[in-house]
This record gives sequence, C-alpha cells and structure tokens, in this order.
Amino acid sequence: MRRSVSFAVLSALGLLGMSALTAPPKNLAILAAQKAETAEVKIDNFSFGPATLTVPAGTTVTWTNRDDIPHTVTSSDDPKLFKSKVLDTDEKFSFTFSKAGTYSYFCSIHPKMTAKVIVQ
Amino acid sequence: MSLKTTSQEAHSENSQNQLVYDHNHDGVDRRGFLKCMAWAGTGAFCVIRGGVLRSYSLGRLAEMDPTERAKEMAGELSFAQISDSHMGFNKAANPDVAGTLKAAVDKINGLAVAPEFLLHTGDISHLSKPEEFDTVEQILRDAKPKDIFYVPGEHDVLNDNGQQFLERYGKGSKGAGWYSFDKKGVHFIGLVNVVNLKAGGLGTLGQEQLAWLENDVKPLQPSTPLVVFAHIPLWSVYPEWGWGTDDSAQALSYLKKFGSVTVLNGHIHQTLQKVEGNVTFHTAASTAFPQPAPGKADSPGPMKVPAEQLKSVLGITDVNFVRGKQALGLVDSTLA
Repeated sequence: MRRSVSFAVLSALGLLGMSALTAPPKNLAILAAQKAETAEVKIDNFSFGPATLTVPAGTTVTWTNRDDIPHTVTSSDDPKLFKSKVLDTDEKFSFTFSKAGTYSYFCSIHPKMTAKVIVQ
Repeated sequence: MSLKTTSQEAHSENSQNQLVYDHNHDGVDRRGFLKCMAWAGTGAFCVIRGGVLRSYSLGRLAEMDPTERAKEMAGELSFAQISDSHMGFNKAANPDVAGTLKAAVDKINGLAVAPEFLLHTGDISHLSKPEEFDTVEQILRDAKPKDIFYVPGEHDVLNDNGQQFLERYGKGSKGAGWYSFDKKGVHFIGLVNVVNLKAGGLGTLGQEQLAWLENDVKPLQPSTPLVVFAHIPLWSVYPEWGWGTDDSAQALSYLKKFGSVTVLNGHIHQTLQKVEGNVTFHTAASTAFPQPAPGKADSPGPMKVPAEQLKSVLGITDVNFVRGKQALGLVDSTLA
C-alpha cells in the first residue's frame, strides 16, 4: 500500500515532471523562431545578395562584406533608419527590423549598389 | 616607360572605339585619336594645337635638339597628376601601395622637366584613417614639387562626411573642399563629387558647388585655359559601375565659352581619354592597383595582375601646358 502510494506520488511527480518537460517545446518554439529571425546578406562583387530579402518582423539581418573594397550599408530613407560604419573586407553590420515595411538601402560609397529588405 | 600588356592594349583600343568621335569637326578624328592614345602605354607626349593633334614620346622630347625643344616647350607650365594611392589597401592586387606611391614619386622626380606642382585627384587613403593620410603626406614630402593640390575621393570622406579631409587639405576651400587657383594664366578648378551620394546615383556636385562654379568662371576671358579636376569622372565613362557624375553636364555648360578645357579625373584606375568639342577628358591611372576596363568584369573590383606586371599598369600623368597654343598635352607614364 505504502509502496503504491509512494508510487502514486512518484507518478504524480512524474507527471509534474512531464508537464515541466512539456514546457520546453514552447521554449524550443521560441528558440526556433529566434533562429528564423536572423538573416544574412553577403556583399560580393559590388552587389548585395540577395538584392531583395524578405523576413518576418523582428529579424536581425547581418551583412558581411566579402569584397576587397570597403562598402557601407546605408538606409535610403530620410531620416536614415540605419547606417553602418565603413565595412572593410569580412567586417559585418547587423540591424533588427521590428516593423513591417519595405526598407531600401545602398552603399554610400558606391551608390549604384542598391537593395532592399521587405519585412512582413 | 614600358609596354602595356596585350589585354591592356586591347582594352585601350576598345575604349577608343566606344568613346572617341569628332564632336565638333575640329580635326580630332578617331584615327588621330588612336595615335594619341598610343602614348598611354608607351610614354609619348601629345599636343592638340589649333585642332591638330601632335604627339611625341617622352624619350623623344628628351632627345630633341635643345632649340627645337625650347620652342616646343616655350612658356610652358607643367605639373604632374597622381591619383588613387589608396594608402592602407593591402589585398592581393597590391600588398605594397606605399612602395608603388614611392615609385611614382621617384618617377616624378626623374622627369626631364620638373613639374611645378602636383595634383592628387583623390582616394589618397583607403579607409580615411589618419595614419593613412600621414603616410601619403610623408611619401609625398620627397617629391621635388612642393605644392600639392588635392580633391577628395570617396575613400577619403568615410564615416565623417569629409570633415577630416577638410581639416587636413581644405584650407581656403569652399563647401566640401572645392576651390580654384591660377598658375601662369591657366585657371585650375578643383571640384568635389564624392559627398552626399544618393542611392542609385553617380558622383554628385550639388547645387551649392554648381552655383559657385558658375560664379568662379564668370569673370574669366574665354581665352583662359581651364583645367578642371575632380575624383569621379565628369563624363559618363560607365554609369553601370558608377563611373560618372550625375550633374556634370550642368557644370560643363558653364565652361562652354572657353576655348580650351581639360578635365582630369581619377577613380577608375586606368587611363582613358575623350575629346568632346572644347573639352578634353582624361582619367589617370592609380598608383595603387588597376581596375578592369568598363564592363569587362563582373564588378569594378581591384584587378589582380602578376607582380612583375603591376608597375606597368600603375602610373602618373604628366601634363604640359603650352602657353598661347590653347592646348594641353598629356602624357601618361607607367611606373615600370
């Protein structure tokens, strides 16, 4: 009897444990979402790739300059929503887009280099 | 002086085919121009006089009978143009930009006629770092000509919209660093077309500078020879790569009354020339690294050439003004 009670208690604890374990999937979902909320843009051969990047709101976009020549990532809006310092080879810049919209940007050194981020 | 590589020759020929035409029926035809372009790699000297093109190799100038040479160079004003030293650049295309700048200085110091001054048409530094500007200043201190006139390239105005450039070089200049000065009757105008660049656009002069330019040239006689220098070409070399200036046509419209206008630019790291009416456009090679011919590569990034060839695609421009002849002869010599 005592054994079965303690078994029941253990079972209950076990269930609690299980419910405690059911929480992580929610956390995992957040982790998964966080994983989805980063995106990469590479700068190669004087162009941003992809030229149009579509991401959910809250995404942090990271640009990496892979050219031998420095570039910048500069918002085309006035006032400018973001503007990186000059990025030498392999340097990075990140910006988090919190609101939906279309965000055009360019390289302020080589203004023919234009691209956009669409935030949904 | 050295011969250009085959690919360079091919590109020169190509550029000529694209760019050269006799806009004003002034005698500078394509064939004559091809002859003129021949000096770009082989070190000749070219004079357009009264619409007639004449060219000399630098070597021939040196060997000329002294009387004849004195005649050819009488009343001359000479200066040298250097460009795009990109101090701080250290990638494969040229890991020693200080060395190649020094070589340019040696070349200038070795010219038969000492240039009276130097023009640097921008991209002095690679990343606008103080130590990069310091290094260039130190190297150029060894140049025989002591007067050096600068205009900024886009690499000189990074992060601070050109404040540092103005502090170092902008004494007496207007706006973002534009100015003019006179030497022996020639009016020189330094323009800035590398600040406040707009998305999708080219080089920009802006209304304030254009208004200044219009006023600057207003009192001058049409017979005054003009030399206009700026970093990004003031003609459409290849807009797809940003090699042009959005409002250059307006600037040039103020110069129409002048009989002789020479425009000197850098930025594209290769020598190209075009004659259009009263204006001769000229781009200088870089002392640092070459860039591909317009449209001949995926992007205008640095061209990697074998080390032994590098000096043959880098260079200085030597400009001689012949007084009273309404013409400027330009000669490019490579570092090798």
